[in-house]
Amino acid sequence: MNLELTWRLLRGGGRGGLLGTWLTLGAVAVATALLLFAVAANSAFQARTERGAWRNPVPAASGAVAVEASRFDFVRDRAITVVDLAALPGRAPAPPPGLPRFPAPGEVWLSPALAGLARDLPAAELAGRYPDPEGVLGDAALVHPGELVAVVGHEPDAPALTAGRTDDWVVARPPVKVASLAGQPGEDAQAYQVLSLIASVLMVVPLLVFGGAAARLTVARRDRRLAALRLVGATPGQIVAMTVAEAVIVALAGALAGAVVFALAVPLLAGIEMQGGPWFTADLFPGPLVLAGGLVAVPLLVGLSAVAGLRRVVVSPLGVAKRETPPAMRFVRVLALLAVLAAFPLLTRGTSVAVIVVALALAFLCVNLAGPWVVGMIGRITAAGARGPARLLAGRRLVDDPRAAWRTVSGVALTGFVAGFLGLLSPSALDGDAAGPLQLRVTAPAGQAERTAELARTRLRDAGVPATVRPVKDVVVAALGSSADPAALDRARTALAGIVPGRTPTTGHDDRRFGTQILADVRVGTIVVLSVSFLVAIASAGITATSSVLDRRQTYGLLRLAGTPLEVLDRARRAETLIPLTVMGGGAILTGAFCAVPFMIGGVSLVGVLTLAGCVVAGFAGVIGAGALSRPLLRSVTTDPAPRPD
Amino acid sequence: MNDVLVGRALTKRFGQTVALGGVDITVRAGEAVAIMGPSGSGKSTLLHCLAGIMKPDGGEVHLLGRRIDAMGERGRSQLRRTRFGFVFQFGQLLPELPAEENVALPLMLGGVPRVQAVRQAREWFGPLGLRSMETRRPGELSGGQAQRVAIARALVTRPAVVFADEPTGALDQQTGQETMRLLVESTKHNDASLIVVTHDPNVAAWCDRTVEVRDGRLLESGALA
Ligand SMILES: Nc1ncnc2c1ncn2[C@@H]1O[C@H](COP(=O)(O)OP(=O)(O)O)[C@@H](O)[C@H]1O
Ligand SMILES: [Mg+2]
Repeated sequence: MNLELTWRLLRGGGRGGLLGTWLTLGAVAVATALLLFAVAANSAFQARTERGAWRNPVPAASGAVAVEASRFDFVRDRAITVVDLAALPGRAPAPPPGLPRFPAPGEVWLSPALAGLARDLPAAELAGRYPDPEGVLGDAALVHPGELVAVVGHEPDAPALTAGRTDDWVVARPPVKVASLAGQPGEDAQAYQVLSLIASVLMVVPLLVFGGAAARLTVARRDRRLAALRLVGATPGQIVAMTVAEAVIVALAGALAGAVVFALAVPLLAGIEMQGGPWFTADLFPGPLVLAGGLVAVPLLVGLSAVAGLRRVVVSPLGVAKRETPPAMRFVRVLALLAVLAAFPLLTRGTSVAVIVVALALAFLCVNLAGPWVVGMIGRITAAGARGPARLLAGRRLVDDPRAAWRTVSGVALTGFVAGFLGLLSPSALDGDAAGPLQLRVTAPAGQAERTAELARTRLRDAGVPATVRPVKDVVVAALGSSADPAALDRARTALAGIVPGRTPTTGHDDRRFGTQILADVRVGTIVVLSVSFLVAIASAGITATSSVLDRRQTYGLLRLAGTPLEVLDRARRAETLIPLTVMGGGAILTGAFCAVPFMIGGVSLVGVLTLAGCVVAGFAGVIGAGALSRPLLRSVTTDPAPRPD
Repeated sequence: MNDVLVGRALTKRFGQTVALGGVDITVRAGEAVAIMGPSGSGKSTLLHCLAGIMKPDGGEVHLLGRRIDAMGERGRSQLRRTRFGFVFQFGQLLPELPAEENVALPLMLGGVPRVQAVRQAREWFGPLGLRSMETRRPGELSGGQAQRVAIARALVTRPAVVFADEPTGALDQQTGQETMRLLVESTKHNDASLIVVTHDPNVAAWCDRTVEVRDGRLLESGALA
């Protein structure tokens, strides 16, 4: 009986009610899609970590079956991961992921992309380094599609697996006797996972503000219908049950729609390049368990939010929903919980990361606590200084319901905080890459610098690459001169390949590769997070503006009957958003920048500041646009010459 | 000559429904007229046509000898703001504005500076028995008090005609009587005419005369009070 009533309640809400239902559905869909994205980002980096683990050998305590080492080689501007493998005598180790069998001594296996590149480039530039490849590596061996990987088989006593290597994971991993090729997460992969976790916190916080607002939307507009239902004798319990059922049904539909939207967006998202390449689409799908969890949790949270919202609406049978001051925001508690949850696993990882995340969460908490209060202050000041009706209306509205206005601007305010934080945080190292003299350097074994230099000279001459080679202490430096182009550099690399077993001759640019890459990725990540936050902010602004028109359609309609020009109402509505947006957006950016100061390493970034400016402009434009979308609704709602309570 | 508002041969249909089937009505200066009739008989439609809220399909409406039904939406909107006042059943006050600012709003819309508009608005509170209610917000007022604020707002621009559609519809009998008394007295005091739509004879009794509407037509001219 309740379900049937609920269904009728859902369908019988009139045009306004139906629109409200659609708005809620859309809001939940957007929230679910973005939430899935935030979760997927983490599981995707997790997947990459697992994919790359086999190249990061774990020393065997006992029962070693193979020797493994790895290093980076370079072609053009890209890194090649080279894994050297040898089975120990009398042992038959299981093959590494993506290989049909354990590579025999002398065998070379290339990833499809590397094999393709070796075919396309002249042999003297690349193929010469990896002659006669045995076969192609499967996807299981790769961190991302298009990754350049070479697996080289050796005898266990081969120089490549016995000579010492730099014990610096940015450059190489020294030979290690392993019991299996399971490996362990690499330091770089872990750094990315921490960064993606921070990005998720940044995305999820505005998402929660938005989701909570959306959930309350369903309930807020039900006052009169609920009063009518009470009038015909429904008990408060029945009303709560019906409202919650309605909210949950709508939220479930919205969550499903959001999941579909996310699934459709995955191929696009997979194209976002990180760590030098796009993604395996499968890695971007969170597990079925996570997906199911989301589809259960979102409607559940909306239902709970609906109950909380209902408790605030004191419904009197006369149909006059009395306004009472809502209790202190429960959202704060959710945030505190979130901060604790986020901090807990991080504390075990490294204190500096935990400090950053906790500081971030705390700052968010403060922004969210202070938000409505500041909106109220802004409203008071606006109303006090207003001369015309529009500003007066806007100011009074802000004072009356600062939380509503905060919901509208919170997305952009928090985004502004993010932008201020990350925009200035991005070190300037990426902006200008000081181009030094082009030279390849490789460390020779002790006492062999002269001999290695001589060998290098011969090899480069034979390859036809003009270069001056000289030993500097242990390091052999081959200066290629200013006329060398990328092709000449790769010819030199190929000529010098293997000149010191287990070591790659590198340029300064190669040596800075990891830093450059992670900075580029942080920038990409920032743009992604900002885009998500703006999407939330714009959706929230549109929905809040529309629901506010629906909520007060009777008053607006009667005001229009009494001759109030709609332009005044429109101007008031615009001011109601723009004033707090201007004050709080700017304030949030400053707060974010201030919070970033302790973490600023490389100075202020020009690109970052420009990105920030672009984001502010886009945010304002988006929010104004989203607000303007409800203008036709205001017009149509107030054109009805006899507005009746529904 | 002292006919303030004249409606002639007014017709209005909504699809198949004939809401007004040729209505003639004249309201004189300072006169209070009640429009009575059962629900759905066309009372509100008649009021909307007379007030320039709605364009009639046929017929004419004149305010002080000037034809107003042919004016554009902008002109009629301005006319409603300046020459007419409105009191509706409920929900016409902006909940976030204090009572005095709700009353001052029509003045501010007309370009009166805010301080002056609020001062003028306050002058209405005493006579309407709303002393010390100036800064209360509509949510903090009783139904009767809210209607009196609405009366002040309708009269603050010194309109020629005040339109009231079921002004006591949401009030109990006693408060309704009190509200009608104040409405009629204050409109008369301000030399404004009053048109009240109601289905309650006790409300109509406050007016100088009553016209009955049945199926979009006037039945008879009621007796003078
Ligand atoms: N906007 C409208 N659209 C369609 N029909 C309407 C509209 N307004 C009024 N009507 C119809 O016109 C008739 C008269 O309505 P109304 O003037 O509101 O009656 P009253 O105020 O006397 O109750 C009714 O049958 C009503 O259903
Ligand atoms: Mg009516």
